[in-house]
Amino acid sequence: MNVLGQKENDTIISNNPQNLKLKVLYFHLTNRCNTCRSIEKLVRETIDSNFTEQLKNGVVDLYILNCELPENTALAQKYDAYGATLAITAYSLGKEGKTEDLSNWAFQKAYSPEIFKRELIEKINDKIK
Amino acid sequence: MKDKNSIIMLLFAFAVLLLAGCNSGSKQTEDALITDSVSTVETTCNGGTSLSEDSVSGAVAPEVKTELPVVYIYNFHVTNRCASCIAIEDATAKTLNTYFAPELKQGRIKRLVINVDDDANKKISEKYQAFGSGLFITRSYKGKETTTDLTGDGFKFARNKEDRFIEILKSKITEYLK
Repeated sequence: MNVLGQKENDTIISNNPQNLKLKVLYFHLTNRCNTCRSIEKLVRETIDSNFTEQLKNGVVDLYILNCELPENTALAQKYDAYGATLAITAYSLGKEGKTEDLSNWAFQKAYSPEIFKRELIEKINDKIK
Repeated sequence: MKDKNSIIMLLFAFAVLLLAGCNSGSKQTEDALITDSVSTVETTCNGGTSLSEDSVSGAVAPEVKTELPVVYIYNFHVTNRCASCIAIEDATAKTLNTYFAPELKQGRIKRLVINVDDDANKKISEKYQAFGSGLFITRSYKGKETTTDLTGDGFKFARNKEDRFIEILKSKITEYLK
């Protein structure tokens, strides 16, 4: 299986603004705990298994970013991400739309992988339909 | 006379044995209570704030008899803790000691630091679905409980943006104390 979200570079960006409908961003610190790693794993698995085509076509972009690295500071500030943060931002015809912060939700569901994945699929589908 | 002395000696020995027995019994009970408290909930003493031993009963939220709402703050953690988890606990202590010292003293705010890996804490961890680090604020009033999960905010802000986290926590506690 081609696991798009698990390539060596930890960010999948298609650079296809016209197709883009949703950015999924997960920020983490340098020193990470198991829960933070689990959330990243669940996000990757959800997208890899259910949105492969959308990743390929640039409908969905996935960003996994260390918010403590200088090159990510601007984005981290934009998303208020000073620690583990999961956010999704809607796009339409190249224009940025609403951002939803899913951090509290992610930490609540991180220990229920099936529920986490099911609900994340729903959230993503809702944004890209 | 000799017989009388023997009887007195025997009675004395019996009394000593009886007293020793009673003391060892009460010591065991005391030890058991302390062990139970330590294994179920760790209390924090930052800035002189501490929980009373009797406020701890592992699986059940400690009851405080008052006509006003009581706010329980649960800091759940695993045995091996990460920096963010420790930062959440430290920032929580800081918030309480800075802004809510009187309420802590009055018992209107109770803070419990709980290791979810400890079997003795299974029930309370399951109640809150806390299987790792977690921060839950519960308002208890007239038998009704309302809980807010601030785990995500904790992980997001406590380590690198502590002031922001303290504001969020302070605002929630203030709301729940009303």
